[in-house]
Amino acid sequence: MKTLVIISHPNINESSSQQFLVQSFPDSREVSMHYLEGTYPNGKIDVKKEQALLKEYDRVLFQFPFYWYSSPPLLKQWFDEVLEEHFAFGYRGNKLQGKEFGLILIIGVGEKEYQTGGQEGFSISELTKPYQAIAKKIGMHYLKPLTIFQFPYMTEADRMKLLIRYQQWLMIEKPDSLKAREAWMVNQLEETSRETLDIAESSFILEQAIEKIEDNRIELDELRMHIDNNDQ
Amino acid sequence: MEDEQWLINRLEELLKKSRDYKQKALLQAAINLILEQEERKEQLQGELDGRLWNPGNWGS
Repeated sequence: MKTLVIISHPNINESSSQQFLVQSFPDSREVSMHYLEGTYPNGKIDVKKEQALLKEYDRVLFQFPFYWYSSPPLLKQWFDEVLEEHFAFGYRGNKLQGKEFGLILIIGVGEKEYQTGGQEGFSISELTKPYQAIAKKIGMHYLKPLTIFQFPYMTEADRMKLLIRYQQWLMIEKPDSLKAREAWMVNQLEETSRETLDIAESSFILEQAIEKIEDNRIELDELRMHIDNNDQ
Repeated sequence: MEDEQWLINRLEELLKKSRDYKQKALLQAAINLILEQEERKEQLQGELDGRLWNPGNWGS
């Protein structure tokens, strides 16, 4: 699965959350980053180039700060110009059909405020309806959003969790599935550099961890099988 | 659980020694994942035990 992350932010260098996500980006050939304001500082979007780029990927994720329940202006312009008729919709406009469409939202207000009775009054699902409608119109499958609330208040432990969740969001087909996360973790532990680890037996410990995760999976599948058999 | 604890302690040592932030996050996530698996195993075992004790199944 190839993933493209389209980032829009008027000043990415001054955003600690965006910087954190850029630094967290996975080292994988299957995942690419495309920063709109950096590519088009004069605001003139190369529509054909953007359309060609989209065709190469299976999953397209839009990463931006959720300004006034919407995106920064360049991303809005990108939607207006790139998702044109005969490409994304209308007669022969099926070029994005079947691909995945997702949002990665950086949000300044706390999560609990996004509900009826909360300070914002509406849920993220309600406020992102225009994006859901775009995905529907162009035949893309709308994914659950990755929402990052109040990044500056996150603890170090929360940030580490976010780093991993972000990587999984970009790399795994079903990032909420335990089984899928296990497979991803085994792969990452196999590939992680041994050079940045000082302990002599680091390879042994990593192998033990991989073995443990795989053994646990066998046990979990067996338990599930017993439960299913018991149902019959 | 003793095995798990031994492994988790070793992973924590690795995490402290790692010189790479992304790697630290990965090792912490490995620990969290193993604990999550253990919890899921307990839940499934509980579910299985509950079903085995279901009197409706005793006759079969």
